[in-house]
Amino acid sequence: MKRILPAWVRPRALIAVAVAAAILAVLPFIHGNRYWHNQLTETLLAIATALAWNWLGGYLGQVSFGHAAMFGVGGFVAARLQIAVGVPMIAAWIGAGVIAGLYALVWGHPTLRLRGPYFSIATIGVGEATRLICTYWVWLTGGSSGMSLPVQVQLKYQLYWYALALALIALAASYALRRSPLGLALLAIKSDVDAAGDVGVSSVRLQDLVLFLSGMTMGICGGFYASYYSFIEPGDMFGFARSISFVLMGVIGGIGTIAGPAIGAVIFVLLRNSLIATYPQLYLGLYGLLLIFVILFEPLGLTGLYMRVLRRARPDLGVTGIAAPESAAPAIGVTPPVEQREAK
Amino acid sequence: MRATSLVSALCALALGGCKQPSTDQAQQPSGGSTAATAPSGSEILIGATLPLTGSEARIGGFYKEGYDLAFEEANQNGGVSIDGKKMQVRLTLLDDTSTQATAASLADRLINSDKVQFLLGTYSSHLVEAQSVVAEQNHVPYVNGGGGAKEIYKRGFKYLFGLLAPVQLLSTALMEWIDSQQQAGKVPKPAKIAVLWENTAHGKDFRAGVSEFVDKRKDGYQVAVDESFELNGKDFSALLGKVKSAGVDLFLADAHLPDYITMQRQYVTLGLCHKVQSYGARGSEKQAAEALGAEHVRYILSAVWWNAQLGTAGLTKKFVDTFKTKHKKDPEWYQAMGYETARALFLALEKAGTLDRDNVRDALAALDVESIVPGGKLQFKQENGQQAIYPFVVQQNQPDGSSPIVWPKESAKNSGSPNSGCK
Amino acid sequence: MGQVTDLAVSAILLAGLYATMAYGLGLIYGVLRIVNLNHGGMIMAGAYAGWWLHAQFGIDPYLSLIPVSALAFVVGVVIYRLLVRRLPRGAAGGVQSLLLLFGVWLVLRNAAYLLFSGNDQTIRTSYSTRAVSLAGAFLSVNRLAVFALALLVLLALHLLLTRTYLGKAIRAVAQNPDSCTLVGVPVERIYALTFGLGTALAALAGLLAATLFSFNPDFGATELLKSFVVVVLGGLGSVAGTAVAALILAAVEVFAILALPAYLTAAVGFVLLVLVLVIRPGGLFGQRVLG
Repeated sequence: MKRILPAWVRPRALIAVAVAAAILAVLPFIHGNRYWHNQLTETLLAIATALAWNWLGGYLGQVSFGHAAMFGVGGFVAARLQIAVGVPMIAAWIGAGVIAGLYALVWGHPTLRLRGPYFSIATIGVGEATRLICTYWVWLTGGSSGMSLPVQVQLKYQLYWYALALALIALAASYALRRSPLGLALLAIKSDVDAAGDVGVSSVRLQDLVLFLSGMTMGICGGFYASYYSFIEPGDMFGFARSISFVLMGVIGGIGTIAGPAIGAVIFVLLRNSLIATYPQLYLGLYGLLLIFVILFEPLGLTGLYMRVLRRARPDLGVTGIAAPESAAPAIGVTPPVEQREAK
Repeated sequence: MRATSLVSALCALALGGCKQPSTDQAQQPSGGSTAATAPSGSEILIGATLPLTGSEARIGGFYKEGYDLAFEEANQNGGVSIDGKKMQVRLTLLDDTSTQATAASLADRLINSDKVQFLLGTYSSHLVEAQSVVAEQNHVPYVNGGGGAKEIYKRGFKYLFGLLAPVQLLSTALMEWIDSQQQAGKVPKPAKIAVLWENTAHGKDFRAGVSEFVDKRKDGYQVAVDESFELNGKDFSALLGKVKSAGVDLFLADAHLPDYITMQRQYVTLGLCHKVQSYGARGSEKQAAEALGAEHVRYILSAVWWNAQLGTAGLTKKFVDTFKTKHKKDPEWYQAMGYETARALFLALEKAGTLDRDNVRDALAALDVESIVPGGKLQFKQENGQQAIYPFVVQQNQPDGSSPIVWPKESAKNSGSPNSGCK
Repeated sequence: MGQVTDLAVSAILLAGLYATMAYGLGLIYGVLRIVNLNHGGMIMAGAYAGWWLHAQFGIDPYLSLIPVSALAFVVGVVIYRLLVRRLPRGAAGGVQSLLLLFGVWLVLRNAAYLLFSGNDQTIRTSYSTRAVSLAGAFLSVNRLAVFALALLVLLALHLLLTRTYLGKAIRAVAQNPDSCTLVGVPVERIYALTFGLGTALAALAGLLAATLFSFNPDFGATELLKSFVVVVLGGLGSVAGTAVAALILAAVEVFAILALPAYLTAAVGFVLLVLVLVIRPGGLFGQRVLG
């Protein structure tokens, strides 16, 4: 039988996603509720950002605490392009994305040589430095007053489908980056950079590619955010809180997995909305506790929990049937906790 | 499969919203409904968000006091009169935690889920700027007393009305007082100015106001130091050192309360002393006097949108008295602005005689009423982007601990003077 | 020229604080190979502890240094025993420990918000605004006190690490934990003690900082990054190295105002951090962070 799809694409996954996409696409016409429509848009955007963060944080194992930098750069460049030069919206997003991706390369290429926690600390520095410099750079960002985009009445409603497309593209890219031969190379780099180099994986180029893609997608999401809210300001776009949210979504959902961060994003938005009404001052602590819980007991977050449940429910399905490369080298070089290891 | 689980999660989220959520008054326990008597017949639902927790919680709480007072007053009189019929007004207040996305999202919720008729604004310019977009897109009149940045009102919005006068006028008021001192020979001419501004929308506008004034009066003033600093900056000693070596006559800063306290402490420790000193809208706060010591906040000028000392007669006195009876303290400009914002909306509702949003919007645009704002008149003129324009009042801390109004002359109890203790 | 002396003095005084702040972070990393992202949280906790004791009981913040540090030591040991111990040691645990302690920081921040509200706080004592005139420069009494105390603490640390058995044990474990087990050094206990010590130092530095600056629950983030700059620049375990690196950082920050607009001087520390990591990851005294 002729294969129309590459060998590494599983038809079942494709169908499931296609069905989901179709449902989500027609959903607004079914529920007709503006508020939920907008909430879904925001959730889809969060999914895209979480997935993009995960390429660097999960696939490459380089946890970034400064990804808001690319988000912000993308947002402001897209806004500037639309206001100053009159570039149409989508083109502005893509242009902004490219610039954000290039910016990621500028600081990321030299710092990716650093391993583990040092890279992460460097990213905090990058995030904060970007925020300060961009707040000062009034031409780009409008300074601390921020920048307003002209309000178009129907745009916000239509942005839902753009967000859906963005999330789907990010999901497809996540899938491709993981399951393709490229994904294997990334796994090799994550496990052992030098050994990977020995077997012919050009780690520098691949890392740069992932860095660029991650940054670019973040930038496009930033552009979307600008168009959606019609107003952006540097404190909000570049804020450390925003960078943290990416980390939380990725880790709680399942760092290094394909769709885990997407689930993390959904939970994140859901929690935020329900907490905001009743216990707005508790959300930080709650996320902190979740983070601690995840790190100590289930490094793969919600996805890991799900896999555990699955293992118990369907022991006949060898886990490898579903989770091929994951079980071999999950997440960020996670090794089972000391007690478990000693027990073996 | 993870794809399936993701799908189910998303659909659950989506379908969960399919059933129209009942108008859940998800309010803070102490917030919201202020109907003094049981709502009779129909009510007017008005929505608002405020930073009740987070970095601006203190001020958010003050605005809430203002809103609550206005609502209580209106309902005590039976409600707002719409075309002869009295209707109670109810406030649905949510906490936006000072985050832009939350403020916009909650506005969305108030309009589309809770079905409020009108919106009152939140506090802080960038939140107002983001939230007003939602109101404008939904054609909901949005009256706010929390956003003073001129840029908010330059977008040609029809449904946005601002009670806070532009921050530039704060600087103008300060400079006018300084000018009067210069003309009386108490301040050197030409005078060198150091402008230190917090890098926020407020600070930016403050600095712009000073620049504009200086540009028009180049013979009298010169800006020698013009530096911004980060909100919640810790160490201002290097910056203050720069001011010291520049040898300026006037020290004009714009800062939030904590930065004011930190900077003034370092200012005093470094032995700095200027004839004229101001921290923008800060200066007379009791907290500062406690943190710094009364002798170190003397002669500091501050310019605010409103001050309780204006309450000598009429509407303003009535407001001050009512507030004092209820809260046992003097109102500050936050409460006054909150109160007046709500009251402006009520007046417009009565004038429009209908709850139709477009009619109310037109009524607001044409509003011309007596008000507690300085100058006594409130209007939302289109040429100002529907932002109210009125003069700021300038206060100066006196050695006896009081902080009387020194400008404008009509409201001044004391003419004020530069700090004679400095060179 | 007056301005330059003023700036130089300012830098020296600030360096004392930075060195104390950084040392705890460096100690924990040097011995346990863990980046304590809760460092910022403990700095904030120390600040609030000192403020609270002063606000409630009127205890002078410099006097409450010892009880606050002691309490923080206990907290550190508890955090280690309860949470950190469950992580794998070494590079594999690197990012996980980062995230774990980051979670702890988030929880601490929230606790501070709930207990004390998000408002800024300052500690005001009778001598907060007093200054001493030294060679034409005005020196704040507080800054001098902080500097003096920082020197004392660093000296005490140096003595602890070089003259006592505990200190030698700590240094031995830092070099080679497996050999230590062989010769009977209680490695796990040393880990716990070191973590406690590092945490105590963070809280102490936070308390010192609170006498100089105002703070709120978000306090500690910038200080954490500055500590990191000092640690990477100065290498690990060497008090002298930390002191020199702290001086360099403080000098760069303070003198930046001569070249940059004041607002951007806040970015100097961050940029320096990234540059140092990229260009000279081995630090001035050689400790590899690569590979």
